[in-house]
Amino acid sequence: MEQKIGAIKNQALEDIKAAKDSRDVFDLRVKYLGRKSELNDILKDLKNLSVEERKIIGPSANAAKIELEKVFADAEKNIKAKSFDAEAERIDVTIPGKKIEQGHLHPITLIQKEIEDIFTSMGFEIADGPEVETEFYNFDALNMPENHSARDMQDTFWVQGEKVAMRTQTSSVQVRYMEKHKPPFRIIAPGRCFRREATDSTHEHTFYQFEALMAGEDINVGHLKYVAEEFFTRLFHEKVTVRLRPSYFPFTEPSFEFDISCTMCGGKGCSGCKNAGWIELGGAGMVNQNVFVAAGYPRNKYQGFAWGFGLERLAMMKYKIDDIRLFHGGDLRFIKQF
Amino acid sequence: MKAFEVEGVEKNKDDSVLEIKVLPDRAHDALSHIGMAREICALEGRKMKVEASPRLKTSAKNLKIEIQDKKLCPRYIGAIMENIEIKESPEWVKMMLQKLGMNSINNIVDATNYVMLELGQPLHAFDYDKVKSGNIIVRKAKKGEKIKLLDGTEKILSNEGLVIADPEKALAIAGVKGGAAAEININTKAIVLEAANFDYASVRKTRMRHSLPTDAAMRFEKEIDPNLAELAMARVIEIIEMFGGKTVEVADIYPAKIMDWKIKLDLNYVNNLLGENVSVATVKKILTSLGLKASGSGKILAVSVPTFRVDLKTQEDLIEEIGRIYGYEKVKSQAPKVDLKAAEVNSQRLFERKTKNTLLGCGFSEVYNYSFYGERDVEMACLGAVKHLKLENPLNPEQAFLRVSLVPGVLKNIYENLKNFKDFRIFENGRTYEKSGEALPDEKRMLAGVVVIENQKDGAFYEAKGCVDTMLKNLGVGSYSFETKSAANDLWHAGRSAEIKVNQKIIGCVGEINPQVLEDFGISKRVACFEFDLEILQKNATSVKTYKAISKYPAITRDISMISQNKIKVAEILKNIQKNGGALIQEVELFDIFQRENKNSFAFHIKFGADRTLESQEVDDSMQKIISALEKDLGVEVRK
Repeated sequence: MEQKIGAIKNQALEDIKAAKDSRDVFDLRVKYLGRKSELNDILKDLKNLSVEERKIIGPSANAAKIELEKVFADAEKNIKAKSFDAEAERIDVTIPGKKIEQGHLHPITLIQKEIEDIFTSMGFEIADGPEVETEFYNFDALNMPENHSARDMQDTFWVQGEKVAMRTQTSSVQVRYMEKHKPPFRIIAPGRCFRREATDSTHEHTFYQFEALMAGEDINVGHLKYVAEEFFTRLFHEKVTVRLRPSYFPFTEPSFEFDISCTMCGGKGCSGCKNAGWIELGGAGMVNQNVFVAAGYPRNKYQGFAWGFGLERLAMMKYKIDDIRLFHGGDLRFIKQF
Repeated sequence: MKAFEVEGVEKNKDDSVLEIKVLPDRAHDALSHIGMAREICALEGRKMKVEASPRLKTSAKNLKIEIQDKKLCPRYIGAIMENIEIKESPEWVKMMLQKLGMNSINNIVDATNYVMLELGQPLHAFDYDKVKSGNIIVRKAKKGEKIKLLDGTEKILSNEGLVIADPEKALAIAGVKGGAAAEININTKAIVLEAANFDYASVRKTRMRHSLPTDAAMRFEKEIDPNLAELAMARVIEIIEMFGGKTVEVADIYPAKIMDWKIKLDLNYVNNLLGENVSVATVKKILTSLGLKASGSGKILAVSVPTFRVDLKTQEDLIEEIGRIYGYEKVKSQAPKVDLKAAEVNSQRLFERKTKNTLLGCGFSEVYNYSFYGERDVEMACLGAVKHLKLENPLNPEQAFLRVSLVPGVLKNIYENLKNFKDFRIFENGRTYEKSGEALPDEKRMLAGVVVIENQKDGAFYEAKGCVDTMLKNLGVGSYSFETKSAANDLWHAGRSAEIKVNQKIIGCVGEINPQVLEDFGISKRVACFEFDLEILQKNATSVKTYKAISKYPAITRDISMISQNKIKVAEILKNIQKNGGALIQEVELFDIFQRENKNSFAFHIKFGADRTLESQEVDDSMQKIISALEKDLGVEVRK
């Protein structure tokens, strides 16, 4: 019997050498290890043998089965490995990949989203207002009555035949919002503004601002500094300090020019900040009580801070853009870089 | 850092000229040497030594001054001086004017300008012999009244503005510019000097009306202290007397004298607004250094403001003075203590972002165009029928109209970008403006996209439509349909544009742009475009998503192809299949179109499925129903 097992095994080992593909291996496996195979018959028949015979034949048959299992498995693996020729299929991996067209958002959209997200995380609401504004919201309510010289500070596009203008600042959203809400509140109002000035690499008649307005019973200059520092530190991912210089705006009193420490040199002075260590960003101040009164609040009940910064300036700093005209140029060679 | 900023220093011989930016609220006092000196003393904590000004002695006999509108002219001082000899100014006057960028004209005119620069009060001198009967009348101009100015130009006056006149004629536009009628020249022997005060708003209106931004007007319109006129008159007389002039008489009409005013200042408010703890002593010291008087010792001070600080009217004005001199750099950052509250969501913004992100995924890049375009754009884009709003004062004719559509802008973007790209997709999200009949125009938040493809055979329309489909599905717009544009305006290709409708209401459109329009915009390719009003789109969209269980049973797909002789729309075939195939149909997909002569060939995959294993027979039955219905209802020939 033992001889028979050896013969089966040897025959199988001989046959497998001739196997050319998986199908051959499969057939041989069925032939030698399948339910109807000789080896299986021997194993099935063990129970009919004497204890002594079983002790000899059993292990021998099992060993042959295990050996053949392994041989067939190896043969299968070998055949699979040879089934394709990697070398013949070699490709040039340095050829560019298939072009996948992806869209690009405008850099102002990107910076605006960043700003909105930072302020939203501090609990500021995002408010919007019309781009064509009445004289009331754009001027009068902001303490700039008709024939006030402060109106000269902003060259205005007027709309023919209507008593309306292209808004010169996002501050026009202030009173619109305040008419519908009572302090305490905190909002930002980003959007498109217009001033009638000739366009060059640093000036645009159409530009983007974001207004911040926080009002309550005790909001002070220190709060303005804190919120601004918090925001700019988040935006530029580094510690930014804020400097206030006295200024004049009709809608704030006191009023400030607003600078931040240069993000390129950290305030030491570099070409980016013209060696000043500071970068001028925009106007800010404590809300003029006349503005609160225009919004229908009692005089001196509330205090608040407000500011208006240009989005282009921030985008230009962040992306190192040197010409403001690119923003409205519609040139995909520009847009596709963002 | 505490007051005005020096913008430049210019060396001028042995002297230095500082260019200082004076803010508009301080132009009334700081646009002068004396005002600047006062400011510097306050900042450095020094006391200013002022030489006592000569007192003005009034004595009027022949000089009669009549102010008809005392609101617009609160004060008028006139002085007659004789023994005048018109000649060049002495060197010290000429040097000063030259350094400050003013032309020297003659000794009298120069003296008035010199005092204006020194004290901030504009002055004027008339030739006394040309003032009829020596009478000065301050009155409103007559409608259509003409005046010839010193520079030789003639202005037609409005009856709103003030003039200085004699009984016969206007001599000057009050506070703005002198007239030629009483001009000083080489023959002048006697003069009438004017040191007056005019209403700022009126001066501003007048100088704007006549486009005369003179030194005098720019100062008067910042609201000058009426008490300054007296100081300036005394000073100019002093100088002209140095030139040999003799003062004959002085008249001062000043019906309502302005006195120092008081402001109650609450120290608690000072510190609450600044967020600092400034002591009473410091506050008092700062106010005193600025020439103000602060009395009281408790938390409430009575502050007396001298008339030259016209800008200081409220507590906040005083707090600004305290803050800037105290130093804003000393104010510490402090976190506001507020109630924890989630910000109100701006749903419009979220929707805009979602829309943009979808388009981004479809390969669209975002552009920003101006809100304005020109008449030519309106004509080329066939938008002439829409009543446009126009700018009163455009920068140029190309930027004169407020856009009513984003399409002209993106067409211009296509023209430009075709120089560098062959295949591209662009979108813009911006506002359009139309007349509304209300106070404000109708502002719409619009979305426009364009598809430019290199291979023109495929037709850009279906590409654009595919993008619209993806976008609408992603935005959760329910059941919408594309229908042939009913009244296509000429911007769109009449045969290749569709309206997108939800419940019979139009929510947007997609189509090729009229080839004629494209040609006008210089675009040589066919281009497809879509346009939506985001507000309408948002109303028809939902962000609610509900999971539908994935069927455990396999679906069965059958193909069907047919030939139609007549112009049947695919939408009709789809509808017919859906209707007759019954509830088992899960999806019908067009996978092939073939056109030859007048025949169209269509092929569809029809997917059947149910919450059980389908029998082959029921699918066959359903197919049979579909086929016979198609042949009967639509007259197509189904290939078997």
